Amino acid sequence: MPEDAAMTTLEFANVSFSYNPHGFMEQLSFAVAGGELVGLMGPNGAGKSTILKLAAGLLSPQQGEVLVGKRAIRSYGGNERAQLVAYLPQTLDTQVPFRVAELVGMGAYPRSGEAALTVGEALHLTGLGGKATAFLTELSGGEQRRAYIAMTLVQGARVLLLDEPLASLDIRYQFDLYRLLKDIARDKGVSVCLSLHDIGMGALLDRLLLLKRGRVVAEGDPGSVLTDEMVRDAFDLDDAADSYTAAHRAVGLALERQPR
Amino acid sequence: MKRARGTALVATALCVASLCVIIISIASGPRLLNPFTMDRETCRTLLAIRLPRTAAALLMGGALGASGAILQGIFRNPLADPYILGISSGASLAASFGLMFGLSLFALSVPLLAFLGAIATGVAVVILGRGWKGLQPDRLLLAGVGVGFFLSALLMLVMTISVDDGLRRAILWMSGDLSLVDWGLLPVGFLFILAGLGLAVARRKGLNALTLGDDIAYSLGFNPARERLALFIAASLMTAASVALGGVVGFIGLVVPHVVRRHVGSDAAVVLPLSVVAGGTLLCVADAVGRTVAAPLELPAGVIAALIGSPYFIFLLGRRRIC
Repeated sequence: MPEDAAMTTLEFANVSFSYNPHGFMEQLSFAVAGGELVGLMGPNGAGKSTILKLAAGLLSPQQGEVLVGKRAIRSYGGNERAQLVAYLPQTLDTQVPFRVAELVGMGAYPRSGEAALTVGEALHLTGLGGKATAFLTELSGGEQRRAYIAMTLVQGARVLLLDEPLASLDIRYQFDLYRLLKDIARDKGVSVCLSLHDIGMGALLDRLLLLKRGRVVAEGDPGSVLTDEMVRDAFDLDDAADSYTAAHRAVGLALERQPR
Repeated sequence: MKRARGTALVATALCVASLCVIIISIASGPRLLNPFTMDRETCRTLLAIRLPRTAAALLMGGALGASGAILQGIFRNPLADPYILGISSGASLAASFGLMFGLSLFALSVPLLAFLGAIATGVAVVILGRGWKGLQPDRLLLAGVGVGFFLSALLMLVMTISVDDGLRRAILWMSGDLSLVDWGLLPVGFLFILAGLGLAVARRKGLNALTLGDDIAYSLGFNPARERLALFIAASLMTAASVALGGVVGFIGLVVPHVVRRHVGSDAAVVLPLSVVAGGTLLCVADAVGRTVAAPLELPAGVIAALIGSPYFIFLLGRRRIC
């Protein structure tokens, strides 16, 4: 479905953005295609969260355009936008007093007709089948994160923007979440763009953008981006860190080879 | 679903309790009336005193319960209540001016002044609470607290330097006094409360979404600042009408929404209407008790509501589950 594929494409065209007059992000261009799992990596303050907020329409670029489905994201009406793009911030409020099914059901708010997916289906996909009536506060950190992702599935968002979804998850939940996102991207053609710090997980994604001070310093498949030299340069490390980089890459790749 | 049935059960029980309370409230007072055997005098007391008072208690309690539920949601703060934003101080100040300087030329003027004072305060809080990203919860909350303290200080100042006879009445009125209620006020109060409640119920999805934080509300298709403003207007209308009807009654707006949530969960579509019923019922009970136990002395309904409600609330807190 070529039309559908166009709707799932997120595109940054010469985007400039700055929080202050000193300049930050200049002429940034990249695209995420439907079904692709793209990671944003880089040191703190490199612009990962800013890119995700621009893509969500929460921030407005000072120059250039952020396009989803060939139209500026901020030109869509609220409900229309919500059916195209879902954004989850780095810190999710896990103390909200809702039951899991209530939270996930809120994904249907922007939809006038049928939900993209029923709450039950979304819970099943995210492995929360038995937790529908539990309170969000009763779940583990990984389950809480997955409940919010289930909400975006009901929302039917074609582009999923996740700010450090893997932070605070243990290695098993990290890998669970990676597999879930991979499945969503493959089966539903959803574009997933996430920021992350874990080199091992980064090694598993389809494509990476390595950022530093608002600029893309490397882009491409993880093998070509996460080289010792690139990582050293982006994070201002000396060669003592090489073994750390290598070990983490190996962990990620070893995990992926594990049978389901 | 098991859960939907539980909610329906709680709602039914609450409505039945509410009806019983209404009958008891109409019957009780300095003189016990039997509403089922009507003589001329019973009928007169019933129509002129008991009915309007019961209706006012239901309206006020309901309005306060729903306002509390809204404000706790839009500020994402369990301690928010209808008076935290200075609305009550503005109403009290305006009404006290009326009482002390004898502006009661028309029967309506004190409640009307209270209503205008409340609305003016609400508008001032919104203007002061407006940041560069629109209405943000913390800023709005702090603006409300600041305005409230300022107006309370003004009120104290006015009352300290005044030796007016109206002073006692002003104090009585501020502690929640339903004895002045008559039929004249009720239709207007009812309309404003209905308008506020209607606006809030229409925005129930926005209220739920705001509970998750502004970024997620935006991601779900809402404009968080606009939703917060609409809901704030709804809560202000209801609070202003409630203060105008019978003064400042504490406790209900703060605690009733929490009690309701503990029984039926947090979905605004359920919490809003049930907070209305629960708040109205509680204030009705409190008023009936207050005017009966120590008759002819009247105990303030807000005090009785807190005396009845607090132990139950603390009992609920002791049970499992984080709010």
